Amino acid sequence: MVNLTIDGKAIQAEEGSTILQAAQAHGMRIPFLCYHPAIKAIGSCRICVVEVKPGPPRPQPACTTKVAEGMEVVTNSEKLQDIRRELVKFMLINHPLDCPWCDKGGECELQNLTHELGIAEVDYEAVRKPINNDFDSKLIERYNTRCVTCGRCVRVCKERVGASAINFENRAYFTDLGSGQVPLNCEFCGTCIEVCPVGALINKLFKYGARAWEMTATPAICQFCGGGCDYEVHVKDGQVKRVRRDEGNPLLCVRGRFGFGVISSDQRLKAPLIKKGGQLVEVSWDEALDFAAQGLMQVMAKGGPSAIYGIGSPRATNESNYVFQKFFRVVLGTNQIDNPGRYNYWRAVEGMAQVFGWPEIDGLNPEVLKYAKPFHSTLTLSEEAKGKGFPFVMGQTAKLKEADAVLVIGADVTPEMPPYGWALMEALQKEDFRLIVANPRKTKYDRYAHKKLRYRPGTERALVLGLMAAMVAANPDLAPQLPAEGWAACKEILQGVSLDDIAKQTGVAVADLQAAAATLLQAQAPAIIFGNDLLAQANGKENVVAVANLFLLIGQPANAGSGLYPIAEKNNTHGVCDVGVVPNLLPGYQPLAAGEKFGKIWNKVPSTIPGLTLDEALTRLENNAVNAPQAFYILGGDMIRQLPNSQRIRSILQKARFIVYQGAFMTEVAKLADVILPVGVHAEVNGTYTNTDGRLGQTRAAVSANGVRPGWQIITALSQKLDQPLEYASAEDIFKEMVSLMPIYVGLQPGYRWPCPDLKADIKGTFVPFSVEPEALGEGDFTLIVGKTMGHSGSFTTFAAGPMIVNGTQTLQINAEDAGKLGVAAGDTVTVSSAQGRIAVPVAVNDDLPAGVVFLADHFAEPLANSLTSNSNLCRVNIQKG
Amino acid sequence: MILPLLKGLGTTFKAIFSKPVTILYPEQKRPVYDRFRGRPELQLYDNGKVKCVACTLCKTVCPSQAIRVIEPAEGSYGEKYPVEFIIDLTRCIFCGFCQEACPKAAISLNKEYELAQYDKKLLIYNIDMLKPKG
Repeated sequence: MVNLTIDGKAIQAEEGSTILQAAQAHGMRIPFLCYHPAIKAIGSCRICVVEVKPGPPRPQPACTTKVAEGMEVVTNSEKLQDIRRELVKFMLINHPLDCPWCDKGGECELQNLTHELGIAEVDYEAVRKPINNDFDSKLIERYNTRCVTCGRCVRVCKERVGASAINFENRAYFTDLGSGQVPLNCEFCGTCIEVCPVGALINKLFKYGARAWEMTATPAICQFCGGGCDYEVHVKDGQVKRVRRDEGNPLLCVRGRFGFGVISSDQRLKAPLIKKGGQLVEVSWDEALDFAAQGLMQVMAKGGPSAIYGIGSPRATNESNYVFQKFFRVVLGTNQIDNPGRYNYWRAVEGMAQVFGWPEIDGLNPEVLKYAKPFHSTLTLSEEAKGKGFPFVMGQTAKLKEADAVLVIGADVTPEMPPYGWALMEALQKEDFRLIVANPRKTKYDRYAHKKLRYRPGTERALVLGLMAAMVAANPDLAPQLPAEGWAACKEILQGVSLDDIAKQTGVAVADLQAAAATLLQAQAPAIIFGNDLLAQANGKENVVAVANLFLLIGQPANAGSGLYPIAEKNNTHGVCDVGVVPNLLPGYQPLAAGEKFGKIWNKVPSTIPGLTLDEALTRLENNAVNAPQAFYILGGDMIRQLPNSQRIRSILQKARFIVYQGAFMTEVAKLADVILPVGVHAEVNGTYTNTDGRLGQTRAAVSANGVRPGWQIITALSQKLDQPLEYASAEDIFKEMVSLMPIYVGLQPGYRWPCPDLKADIKGTFVPFSVEPEALGEGDFTLIVGKTMGHSGSFTTFAAGPMIVNGTQTLQINAEDAGKLGVAAGDTVTVSSAQGRIAVPVAVNDDLPAGVVFLADHFAEPLANSLTSNSNLCRVNIQKG
Repeated sequence: MILPLLKGLGTTFKAIFSKPVTILYPEQKRPVYDRFRGRPELQLYDNGKVKCVACTLCKTVCPSQAIRVIEPAEGSYGEKYPVEFIIDLTRCIFCGFCQEACPKAAISLNKEYELAQYDKKLLIYNIDMLKPKG
């Protein structure tokens, strides 16, 4: 701590902090313009000048001058005010008087400064800067005339977003905001709009929508990836006008910032529908619920409760999903439930659990708190409480920047999970940080990677084995840092691995493998990020086992930042697994045998017979097996778009006798349903989500649901129709019951993450053997990867205007060389065919893909990428022109 | 007794031959002063377009919340203009703050004061009613 005085007031500040930070921490205001808490200070605007003693005999910028012992700072003398006034006047010479219609009016930092400094008129004149505004870019408008050249946008884009898409043009007085690109070609994350102190960058979706002071801000959680960023929705007259994050962290991605249109989309389902004579017709809630209850009863009368199969939603709140599994386990009396994470994130959970064990927490205080704040856990830790299992090796996004080496494998970080990308950008500011990117295609972080491993699609496990073998070869005395079983046997296998064979199989050179292995081996806090490219393969679980084995060998979870970072696809993918929407585990990953405890609260002990997994359930219905499920109760989502082999999924669902679909949009699955119950989305409901690193986020109803209902209310209403009412007063009420049954959520509250950091962890793992057989992909000239693209999240964002403006159509991404061989140019239509089906799709030439590999996104309904795949995100395809 | 009566009649006769101070309202209207504050009115440019840029400062400053709705829209040149502008004259207190706040001199109080209606609904003025007549 350093002692200094600011304006005569003695304060203490942290060593290394700046005068501005110290003043702000003590509630003193120093005006500034080019400084922003999210980016490095450059001290260029000089508005924040202060007089410093002892120091040079001229004012110093407060944002870059570090505090020192015994320093005396004057922030507000007449001389300083004069300097600030003159500087602002210089900016105002060219600043147009657009305030009445500039969206920034009312929250403009230049406007505030002008008022604060009492500038009534500008007594300078200069040549007018030429007008060079950009109205043509998507989502963002640029006004060079309003720009004060503070450089915040340029710096945030370079330092935090990593896109480096905007820059300055010209020099000195004629400096202009530009990029050399009109229209702009970037990620369209809009962070530049957020940090701009004036109205030089304007959000096109918000333009003229509302004045700053007319809106009320309500905290909510973004729905569009596993990161679950907390943001605020700004509402005027019951309409969401924009979303923003807090001042200190302005980062959001394109779908987060511009995807809020899903709430007010005119494609939203607004009233319940039932199928009458083959047609879906609008009916009242009561009639729809009666119809749904009757339909389910009829199926149950014939096939028993296990004839009904429930599919939870990774976008619904924890509360809705908890009530959903309770509805199946208590009202219907079956464990026939699962969630779509089965094809993706659940593989990460199971794979990590195989190596590090399922989570278990012992030694909690037996009393459950009677009174707790809303959405706070009612369980408390005792002295001897101990936890174990995979959650203790999972990393958290906030700490990722502290890792010293990160391996990104099978993930395209920015489209799948932007928060990991921002954390990587922060980590990259450190000199000793090392980034290794392993992916069959070139991804955004390749440009920052210290080592790139371009392996053949489907050879992830071989690559991981190669890395482990290279580590053992480099250091024969290598032993895991964590207590591990089976190391001796594993080491023996690794010593027998030929790196040349691995190189042949994966296409990665031996030297590259060795270099990457050496980097990881030296790291004190290594982290591994893995995502959809690896999880969505048929052997996704084995891939995770391989990655978890690698982490067991090198991981040091005691060091901040070191951990496994799986990418959850949606904001509550982790939560839906936590709260027990799986056929073989009760809420909190507790075995079915622990049902007694649940029986006390539920008044019914759940069945101990595990249900079928989603995969098995679909296969049984396909094969008309005797005990195949006959009816489905589906919470949202679009399985036809998202699961591999769309035709198969469609034909299986067509076989079902009854489908209840509880969702927000008319998706492909909804079209097959017998009853559609419209549900509220994130800014319309109260509740919680658990993001990919286990952090609890609370969302609040900011706008009226206009006739649709929160998910849990629909489920409880349906339970009433079945004469076994589940009764809850509110989402808080459900949360209270839920957490009292879930030891893993001990100490949890909004903004905090489970497992509780105060919990002593007993981390140990077992090396689990895995095969390195490459995925069976079928026959064809090209390898197709079906994955995620920037701007979209599942099928959800295809219903929002913003993301569709940036990325509105399906294209086949293909290497220029391959396109040349096929004789096609960008925009030409090609027919892509596999054993499963064929689609016609326009081509986009993209050299990020290696020769022989093509890419399609799984978000779009037309043409449907997954109609080509069989059981994985990879398959071999043939491509023909026309 | 007769004397007071004659005195009174004298006053009456005096008034008969002097100019009346009352006017025959509503046939005749009393002219108002230049700074009279009647109902708010939107001002137009010579080409007939409203001067208003929907900045909502008048709505914000209005002490009686008489300005209910200003619905902005974007024109073909990126300009901002109101497509709807609703003032509830039953709430208006004719203070003139809107006129004072307006950066574009787009709203001002005119000289109209005959605003009584049998139905309150008729006093809720939309953008067309707020534009000057003729």
